[in-house]
Amino acid sequence: MKTSEASRHINGTFVAGREGDREVLGGYASDLLSDVMANSREGDLWVTLQKHVNIIAVAQLNGLSGIVLVNGRTPEPDAVARAEEAGLPLISTKLQAFDVIGILYSLGIRGRRQI
Amino acid sequence: MYMVDTHVHTCLSPCAELDMHPAALVDAAVRVGLDSVAVCDHNSAENVGAVQRAARAAGLAVIPGMEITSAEEVHILGLLPDLEAALALQSRIYRALPGHNDEEAFGVQVVTNEFAEVLGFNDHLLSGSTTLTVDEVVGAIHDLGGMAVASHVDREGFGIIGQLGFIPPGLPLDAIEISRHTTMPRARALYAPRGEYPILCASDAHRPEELGGAATFLLMEEATLEELRCAFAGKNGRTILGGGRPMEDLALHILDIAQNSIEAGADTIRIEISEAPGEDRLEIKVSDNGKGMDRETLARAADPFFTTRGTRKVGLGLSLMAAAAQATGGRLSITSSRGEGTTVIAEFKLGHIDRAPIGDLETTLMVLLAGHPGIHILFRHRIGKRSFDLDSADLISSGIDVSTPSGLAALRRMLRKGESDLIERRQAGGASGSH
Repeated sequence: MKTSEASRHINGTFVAGREGDREVLGGYASDLLSDVMANSREGDLWVTLQKHVNIIAVAQLNGLSGIVLVNGRTPEPDAVARAEEAGLPLISTKLQAFDVIGILYSLGIRGRRQI
Repeated sequence: MYMVDTHVHTCLSPCAELDMHPAALVDAAVRVGLDSVAVCDHNSAENVGAVQRAARAAGLAVIPGMEITSAEEVHILGLLPDLEAALALQSRIYRALPGHNDEEAFGVQVVTNEFAEVLGFNDHLLSGSTTLTVDEVVGAIHDLGGMAVASHVDREGFGIIGQLGFIPPGLPLDAIEISRHTTMPRARALYAPRGEYPILCASDAHRPEELGGAATFLLMEEATLEELRCAFAGKNGRTILGGGRPMEDLALHILDIAQNSIEAGADTIRIEISEAPGEDRLEIKVSDNGKGMDRETLARAADPFFTTRGTRKVGLGLSLMAAAAQATGGRLSITSSRGEGTTVIAEFKLGHIDRAPIGDLETTLMVLLAGHPGIHILFRHRIGKRSFDLDSADLISSGIDVSTPSGLAALRRMLRKGESDLIERRQAGGASGSH
């Protein structure tokens, strides 16, 4: 499934990086960026409420397939600019994290962190 | 030289203990030998004035501050030039801080005066997050002439690296702070390998007994924000000499003993640290040519409730060192005679699980050599047969003048190299060979 299709299912809107649409290989949810750096995997769609510009760097670093901002959060302007520059899908949805993750899970997207 | 704890809370912080009222905080700070503290309660400065008034008679300098929680749940300390600026920042923060405190859930937020009398309870949700981003928090602090310090960057929760993955490039922080869980050398390597940020060690004390658990040593003329600013920037002869855990690190016990020697009028101090892995032995010896002690004083020297120092009500130094040695099955001995000097020898089992870490000897030497340039220091750190030796009388001939910023930088490089070369050999198991 592509990021854009996942976005439709969670009533998401692209804030940036629409042309960077890519395959979603899994999912990760966390608001601690250090944890995301350590534990997310390439191709994960990341669900968070953090909207600081650092989220873009973290997503790029781990090759994530996109970032979903929950609770209707709009990212900082510098985060939008960086996502646009990087061609990284940045999606905002009014849904809360619990519901977003439930929907993505029902679509077959899974967490892949190895314990 | 100033020993400063730049991050302490009062009973206003919901997570702090009730007995951390201003007078108790000041007593505890003076007892552990602090010259200054910065009062940084969560999102409020309402007890700063009371701490300042409580501290006046004790001669403790109080820097007004606040620990602000950003929208990203990052803790940023604002250190401010005066109470007025702190209260102005507080108004700014209160406007951006939603919610009300629930005392059952988060604890009480006690506003108190300098006599430990309760004036009221703060109703703001001080344990909550403001709606300000880290950039806005740093901006608000700078707008009021303050300095912004990232709190406990070594902690995952509420530390800027834990929350945001890394320190956002371009965020104009004035310094970063480490907790007592990280040593200065490790912090330099991890967070500021190219000297990007000045590093402060602070206790983040929420209880009186935690005060001074970590502290920073600064070379400056007085404990004010402007002097701190110069020290952070290494300007006008001001500098950060180092930091660590005064209650734990042997390096800082050594510093404490050497400072006793200086108080006793010594002009020559010999410090020898001998690690003998083959014999599982660590010996620390500090000897001076000060005025010495008579028999009666000597008998009481390691008693924790005895001190000759005016600045300190309890002589924690020698008693702590004695306890640290005894915890490993070792001992502390003091020999002294009037007019001839004093020698303190502490013996430890090197590999004992309870042996306190040696800590950052660079801090010890920077404080002694830069803070007391008139004192002749002879230093030797020996590991097996190798050693790092330093004689302060040779500094000038090596082109190091500690009264200049370049001299301080050169001294720091020399100490860092000397210690790291020696420790690398220890780690390589290279205790053999000769010096």
